Amino acid sequence: MNIKKQFKEGLITNNPVLVQLIGMCATMAITTTLFNGVGMGLSVLIILTCCNVAISAIRKIIPNEIRLAIFVVIIAGFVTIVDLLLQAFIPALSSALGVFIPLIVVNCIIIGRAEAFCQKNSVGASFFDGIFQGLGYTLVLIVMCVVREFLGSGKFGGGLIDIANGFRFTLDGTGAGIQLFPADFGASILTLPFGGFLTLGVLIAVMQFALTKSKKKKEMKELAAKAAAKEEER
Amino acid sequence: MNKILKLTMILCLVCAIVAGVLGVVNELTYDRIQEQQRIKTEKAYAAVLQSDGYEEVEFDKENFPTIDSINKCTNGAGYVVTTTFSGAQSKLTMAVGVDNEYKCTGISIISHAETAGLGANAASTSEIGVNWRAQFVGEDENVAITKAGGNIDALAGATITSRSVANATGTAISAVKSLG
Repeated sequence: MNIKKQFKEGLITNNPVLVQLIGMCATMAITTTLFNGVGMGLSVLIILTCCNVAISAIRKIIPNEIRLAIFVVIIAGFVTIVDLLLQAFIPALSSALGVFIPLIVVNCIIIGRAEAFCQKNSVGASFFDGIFQGLGYTLVLIVMCVVREFLGSGKFGGGLIDIANGFRFTLDGTGAGIQLFPADFGASILTLPFGGFLTLGVLIAVMQFALTKSKKKKEMKELAAKAAAKEEER
Repeated sequence: MNKILKLTMILCLVCAIVAGVLGVVNELTYDRIQEQQRIKTEKAYAAVLQSDGYEEVEFDKENFPTIDSINKCTNGAGYVVTTTFSGAQSKLTMAVGVDNEYKCTGISIISHAETAGLGANAASTSEIGVNWRAQFVGEDENVAITKAGGNIDALAGATITSRSVANATGTAISAVKSLG
């Protein structure tokens, strides 16, 4: 299995949010501070990887007719485990993300990967698929958080970084973040759900632009190569 | 027929395994989650009215359906009321401190889902949130926002949240008064 190709697919060419356009509800709802984004991204990454491995391990023994039901039960199991662990050990993240942790059960990234990938591929490949797709998701969340936080309230790293007593990372979500310009000048509309739609739309557009451009470049190169080959023949 | 039976068996088996695993995880995390919740509530209590301990007292639940509990401070400073009420987006849970003169000693929002940047300021630890909540100190059961003829300046862009927090504070003080 080609790990390098999977890496590129998960993060860029087949990014779950920007190219497959799945799992967008939580993406728009929780990307208000960097703390939420990183926490949600890593939660999904862990759950996705566990589910991918479990589903791909039993892919040969589950009957086709009830596969979706079994997928959902397994996903719900892992989500509940992560939810309980977060409540016990990182309560700040649990209360910040609220209902969006249990809602990972119906996050289509996970069931989507189970259907599209794990059903047909080995455990090892599914494991890497989970990690890379999860990283791709986390990356999008981080970009969205940074953009919305900066333009919306002039901050960077809300909840995750504290500079009151020297620079440090706060893992309990209490850090105030770095104020880059006064919050009054921010477009607070970007911190609202509407701002989530706006940011995601722009990101998808940029992604599509970049993908089309690189595709065109590739085609041009191929054409040039063909032309050169013809030239040589002559 | 046999096939349906087989499918049902497999599905039941998968469910049973998952349920078993969840049971174990729940067993392992239960105490810690309870502990975390206790710490959170205690912090909120201490933020509104300092005491060495709190003792839950009986109250008229029928007349005050939004009140969750009334806790008497063991040092005699007054009461801490927890209340759950509707805000702009969904339910808020809040602790209200009430002293023996039935004046508010402070409010602390334990959980909420108000709009980030607007209603959420009511619960935030930022300067806006702290200053806004400080307005409630010393208010009595008639506490209201300025629009409704009271002394509380509503948060910009969050009149509904401000109004419901003010009303809930008033209800909490009334509930303590009804204890007599």
